Formats: sequence, structure tokens, C-alpha cells
Amino acid sequence: MNRFVIADPEKCIGCHTCEAACVHAHEKVGLVAYPRLTVTHTKAGTMPVQCRHCDDAPCEKVCPVNAITFVNHEVQLNESVCIGCKMCAIACPFGAITPYGSLPEGPALQEPESLPAVNDPLHPLLAWTVGQRSIAVKCDLCYFQPEGPECIRVCPTKALYIVDDMAVQTSNADKRVASVTAATEGHILQHHQT
Amino acid sequence: MAKVKTICPYCGTGCSMLLSIERNIITDIDGDPSHPVSEGELCPKGLYGFKHVADPERLRTPLMKRNGGFAAVTWDAALDAIVQKLGAIKAESGPDAFALFASARGTNEENYIAQKFARAVIGTNNVDHCARLCHAPTTAGLALTLGNGAMSNSIPELGTDSDLIFIIGSNTAECHPLVAKHVLKAKERGAKLIVADPRLTEMANKAHLWLRVPLGHDIPLINAMLHVIVKEGLHKADFLRDRAIGFEDLVRAVEDYPPESVARMTGIPADDIISAARGFATAKAAATLYAMGVTQFTCGTGNVVSISNLHVVTQQIGRPGAGICPLRGQNNVQGACDLGSLPNLYPGGKSVAHEADRVWFEKAWGVSLPAKVGLKVTEVPNEILAGNVRALLIDGENPMLSDPDIKHFGHALEKLDLLVVADLFLTETARRADIVLPAAGWGEKDGTFTTTERRVQLLRPAVTPPGEAKPDWWIFKTLAERMGYSGMAYQGAEDIWDEVRRVAPANYGGMSYARLDKMPGLSWPCPSEDHPGTPILYADGSFATPSHKALLKPVLFHPISVPEEKRKAFEAPIVGHIAERPDTEYPFMLTTGRRVYHYHTRTMTGRAPLLNQLGPDEKIELNPQDAHELEVRDGDYIKVSTRRGAIVARAWVTERVPPRTVFSTFHYWDADVNQLTNAENLDPYCGIPEYKISAAKVAKSSSAEAKANLASQREFYRPEVERAVALQTHAEKELQP
Repeated sequence: MNRFVIADPEKCIGCHTCEAACVHAHEKVGLVAYPRLTVTHTKAGTMPVQCRHCDDAPCEKVCPVNAITFVNHEVQLNESVCIGCKMCAIACPFGAITPYGSLPEGPALQEPESLPAVNDPLHPLLAWTVGQRSIAVKCDLCYFQPEGPECIRVCPTKALYIVDDMAVQTSNADKRVASVTAATEGHILQHHQT
Repeated sequence: MAKVKTICPYCGTGCSMLLSIERNIITDIDGDPSHPVSEGELCPKGLYGFKHVADPERLRTPLMKRNGGFAAVTWDAALDAIVQKLGAIKAESGPDAFALFASARGTNEENYIAQKFARAVIGTNNVDHCARLCHAPTTAGLALTLGNGAMSNSIPELGTDSDLIFIIGSNTAECHPLVAKHVLKAKERGAKLIVADPRLTEMANKAHLWLRVPLGHDIPLINAMLHVIVKEGLHKADFLRDRAIGFEDLVRAVEDYPPESVARMTGIPADDIISAARGFATAKAAATLYAMGVTQFTCGTGNVVSISNLHVVTQQIGRPGAGICPLRGQNNVQGACDLGSLPNLYPGGKSVAHEADRVWFEKAWGVSLPAKVGLKVTEVPNEILAGNVRALLIDGENPMLSDPDIKHFGHALEKLDLLVVADLFLTETARRADIVLPAAGWGEKDGTFTTTERRVQLLRPAVTPPGEAKPDWWIFKTLAERMGYSGMAYQGAEDIWDEVRRVAPANYGGMSYARLDKMPGLSWPCPSEDHPGTPILYADGSFATPSHKALLKPVLFHPISVPEEKRKAFEAPIVGHIAERPDTEYPFMLTTGRRVYHYHTRTMTGRAPLLNQLGPDEKIELNPQDAHELEVRDGDYIKVSTRRGAIVARAWVTERVPPRTVFSTFHYWDADVNQLTNAENLDPYCGIPEYKISAAKVAKSSSAEAKANLASQREFYRPEVERAVALQTHAEKELQP
């Protein structure tokens, strides 16, 4: 089973620390400086959304240049191979792949107050900015650092955690124990009542 | 690599952090696991908001305005010019023609010396700071009812002891994320969470019970809760008899607020009000967290007194986890108030109008002091326009973005004979100054901050300031010496602190730097070196009021105006109403606040690329129902106007705001909501403006209008001056032999 990071919306306070940390960690190793998780606010609750590293990943299937591959129980994207065709972003059922590229350096483009180039795309995924070469950006579980995903490390409420084979096994074992306990207690209760 | 332990410069939570330093530059920040509040964690501002320290646009030399631009000058030239001009203005118009805005961003020591400068050197009580715009009602309200305008308990108690947490008017998750963590801890332990807020904030979303109170209707909500508590006999009769004054009047006042009629007024279901009241009164330990959603109203003091009434009537005070928690927005706003950067109070909460207090400080400072209460921040613009204030010194504040009705404020600044600004950058305000002084900032100086929970913590310098930038205490000390005052012979922040400990011994006597260095701070009062500090106030049932009893006060409310006969039924009741209600021309209500990834006017966080990436521009929250009517899609430009002005920014279509309400921040100069807020409607007790409600109209806008708006804002704020001056001062530096 592939591993992935997920958030507990009961614990997430929507502070965006994970997003900033994600940019920081990837920027340091020369990968695209863009958050690979998106804190999503809804009426029902808030949590960051990121790649689920699907075992039957649609992004892997549609990628025309094999930039997306299965590696060590993870779905990994090679930023050097990606051609920015956006097929994976369209195919992703979670909205976890975003086309992005660093903006070109230069005083005119660095002006924080300058408005983005005006464009009215057919679809938000097709929005573009002058001079920006976008490629697909998605969660890579911070494979490059031994301490694991940076978002998990910095989350102040510890809302993020990793799900892998072991986590599923442990959780299933706990659930089995709980269901046996519930059934047994029900039986004892019935026994006492009769 | 060197690691320096210090305190976060942003909100009042006071998280401890470890700075990594390489070649005199802060390269990384980590949380400090040994700290009882932050427990090793930090929010995005704490972790990534440090790039401003080494920013190339930091002010490096004093500047004087010449021919419409700025010229770099020496400290001697700048200070001489200030001394000469201040002397002339004082001789012509008297000491009250000078006003000083100190800063809640500065240390305790800097605030102490700033107010001492105004009082002892200039001879005026015209010293105030931005607490006027945030927690002035807390200082006024809680001082009146309980005796201390401060949080009664400590933050970790929320996680360990409170079994009910009532959050009213606080966006805790965004504005105090590490306090929110303790609230979640409580919830996991089984504590109940009740949130009263017009916006569906993160905490509202996590609450067991969310009361969607309409903007400005806190008083009727709390009165209705008190009504239920008294009707059902859930009040603590023995405690009220022995330890409180005014219960009978309060009972009469809340009689008028049955939950059914308040439900009609507010739209909150009566059953919800009843269940909140029962839960609060019967909890073993209930804590109320509140912030600007309570204070920034013309009835801010009334709102605070209502909260105090609720806690006293149910005796939810003076025990672990039971108390009132005003969450302070700035790292040292508690300290700035405690150290006397207020027009009516000396350090340690002593009153300028009280003769014995005045004599105490006259003796301590060796001068005679004025008895007249000084001007509040919000009174200064009109006093400038009336010609009564001619010189203004702003020490580390940026009112050109943060004060209400900016156009009016900017107009007032133009009329000054002397505007001096000390800051880290050539801010929107500094660009309008006659003289700008480069200040050393966080990470570069020592001193102490007082957190929202009264915890005094020691800062440590990590890097040296850029160019000739100096700590604020040095600026005030040097100015004072040049003006002929000899009572400021300090060699450093610790000397000032030792004087603070002598003049306000009841609070600080036991807090030496040596002691603070060894621990994560001490909470005042801490009168002696062997005193452990006081995390919980009023634990012995004795309050800091003159009678040592808690004061209950009737608080009346009507959205338009409280009828005269209702007022007359009580002796000096506090009354509240909404100053600017929506009408047919301005049918929306505009309310204001902050986002988690930026801090106030972005002077610091605007220099952090990671934080700018999270929050690149203003997004005005608009309810989907209104968006549908206005044919606005998420991300479209909208124009929000009030009687003061208009801004254009992108819409965030979201249920976070109720229909007919829009929410905007004051982070961005190109869409500053404070051009729309009202400076005329002030709380009569403390002078706070009603930031949280302005009648507004909202219209769909366009890219073209957004560009035109940007051009006009650019003309108003002239952001290009900052870079030009930075380039010029760097070049001049290089030309010097």
C-alpha cells in the first residue's frame, strides 16, 4: 500500500503553517517553491488537502512522459521531466496537483504591488502568468529529508500524520478488538438481563 | 551554528523560540520545547516571519526631509534639529503641544522610558499607544470591575483545568494559534467549547455550540445568559453577598433581557442562549477568551463589563482554569499599558490624577509632573487640526494604515510643525515625517515583553542592528540629555528595568534579569525575589478595587439608542448602541480583522517571502448569497465603500461571513480597510473607535477599476520612496572614505 499524509480536521486550526513549511523545505533543495498542500476552508470544517498517493493513481496513468511513477510505496513526480501539460491535475480526484513555476527574477516582476497579468482562462487550471513556466507540483512526502514530511514536523496542533501499511493494520486491529469487546459486552449485558 | 533563545515578536501569546544565526543573520527559527505555553510549537509568523531583520531596505541612518525627498544625516544633526524644534514649540505653545505615540511592539523598558520622556522631560501626559485601538476597553472595564485590566489566569490552565471555554469575539485560531492549541487540548480532555461570533471562524467551526451573534450584539447576549442564570438560581449567592457590590441592580437590569426577546433581536435561538447560560454557570471552571470582537465597538467597555458580570455572578474567577482572558494582539501591549504608555496612568497602574501617585513619581524622577490627563491616540488628529498639538513623535507605530479613517489622519499629519518617526523601515507613516530615526528591532536588542497572561519574559539579542540604527531607549535617553534632563543615565535596558522595579515594586520588585534569564518568565504581581509570580489573580477572593470587592454594573443595550427612562432606572449604567447602522444607501456592514499569516500593517511580515506567498493580497469575505445577487464569483474584484472612502480588492466568497456583512483586513496598503472605518464614533469611557462596524456598500468591480485604485493608492502612499531612499543611503555609505 502507498503511504500518504492526511490531516485530522478536528485538530486543524487552519493556520497555514504546513503550507509555508512545505514551500520552505522544497525551496531549500531546489524544487518548485509552492505549497504541496492546500488548506481548504469549508462550512463543514478546515484541513489541508494533499496527494493521497493512490495505489491506482490516475495521474500516473495520464502522464504522457512518465514523469509520475511509483517509487517505494509513493507516487513521485520528477520535476525535471514534467512538460507542464496539466493532464495529471485534471485527472486528480482530490485537486492535489497544481501547475506552478517560480516567477522570473527581476525588479519589475518583484514589485509586490503589481497586479497579476490579466487573463480570463476557460478553466482555473489554465490560468497563466507572463514569463512563468509551470509544471505539476504535488506532495512528495519530503523524500529528500530523513526526518520525513516537513508539514508533520511543524504543525502546531499535530493535526497531520502519515498513513501507511502499519497504520492501517494497527487501526484495523484496534477496530476488531473494539467490535469484539462491544459484542461481548452486549452479550454479557443480555446475559445479566435475562 | 549559534542558537539564541528569545521571545516571538508577533502576538501576545509570547512563544519562546530558538534562532539559528550565521554570520550575523538569522537563518532559521525553531520552537522551544521547554516553554510552558508554546511547548516547542510556533505559527507561520513565528517560524517564517524573520526576514525583515536583514532586509536591505532597513533604515540605516537618520533621515531629514529636504526638497520633498529625504537626506541621510548624522544622529547629531537629527537629534539637534528635534531638540531645537521641540524647545521652540514648548516655549511658544506649552508642553501639551507635544504628543507621543509609544508602541506595544517595543519592550517594557522602551515604553517606560518613552512615557517618562513625555512626562518628566517634556511635561505632558500626552502619551498613548495602539492599545487605545485594541484593548482600551479591557484596561478601562476590568480595572473598574476587578481592579486589574489584564488576563486573570494563565494560558496553560485552559488546557489542563477549564471544563468550559467561552470564546466571544476572538478569532483565536488565526490571531493566537498557540492559545487555540490549548483550547483544543481542553476539548480533547472533554471540555465544552462555546463560541459567540458573527463569523464562522475556525473556533466557531469546532465549537459544541456556536452562537452566531450579529455584529455588536454582545451585551444583549450576555444579559440574556445572566437573565437565565438568575432566574434558575445558578448564581453564587454567598460569593456575591461577601465579595461583590451591585448584584441587585444587575438583576434588575437583566430582567429586561429574557432569552426569547433577545432571540428576536439577534436571531440566536433562545434554547441556545439557555444552554450556554446553564453550561457556563454549572461548569467546574469556565474561562472566557475575548479580543477585538468585544472591544472595538463604541460599547467596547460595556461588552467587557458584561463579561466581567458573567464571571462574577457565577464565581468563575480566581481558580485554576476559571477566569477572564482578554487575548492581547501585540507582543507587548500588556507591558506598554502596565508601564504607563497611557495618558491617564503611570507605570504600575498609578493614576496621574491621584495626588499621592503623582508625588511618588515626582520624587522618583526628580521633577514636577502635570496632573492633567493627556490626549488619547484617537483624540490627537482633531487636536492637531485645532492647532493644539504641533509636534508628534511616533515610536514604532504605523498609524497611516492602522488608525481609523486614514484620509482624515493623513490630513492631520500634514498640519503638524514637527513629525518624528522612529521605526525599522520607511513605513507609510515615516514617509510623511520631517525626521526619521532608524531603530534597532527585535532580534537586535535586549529587554522584556509582557505576554497576554502577564508573564514578563526576557528577550535576547542575536544580531547587530544595521548601519547606525539604535535601540529606542538610547534615542529617548539621548534626546532627554540634550534637553537638559539628567534622570536617564542608563547604560542599557537592565538599568531601566531596575528603575521600573523600584518605582513599581508591587508588580515587578522580584523580577530581576538574572531571575528571568533562568526561567520562562514570571507573571506579575511578583513583589520580591523569593515570590513565585502570580499566574492566577483574585485567588483569595480579594479584588484589586478600592473596596477589594468585585463591582457588578448594569449594562444596557439597544441597537439604536437606549431609551432615557431605562437609563434613569439605574445609577450610572453603561449603555451601548450601534453607531453606524446600515441604511438603504449603505446596506452592508463592514467588519475588520486579521489573517493568520500576516501581522497588522505588514511592516515585518510583508518582508517574509513565505508569508507573502500565503497572503499575497487582500481577499474580502463575501457571503455566497450576496455574491449571487451581485453576480460576483470567487476571486472577482469588488468595490467596498463607506462614507469615508472606497477600496477595491478580490472577493473571497465564503459562508464565514453572514449575509450583508463583509470582512476585510488592514494588512495591505493597496486596499486598506482603515480608509473606510470611522474615527468619529468612539467609546465614551476609553475612546476606542468602532472598527468592527461601518455601514458599507458593495459592488462588483473590474480589473480596470482595480488598476485605477492601485494607481491612486500609490500616489497616496508613495511606496517607491522607500526603495529610492534605501538605494540612496546605501550609495552614500559606499561613497564615504
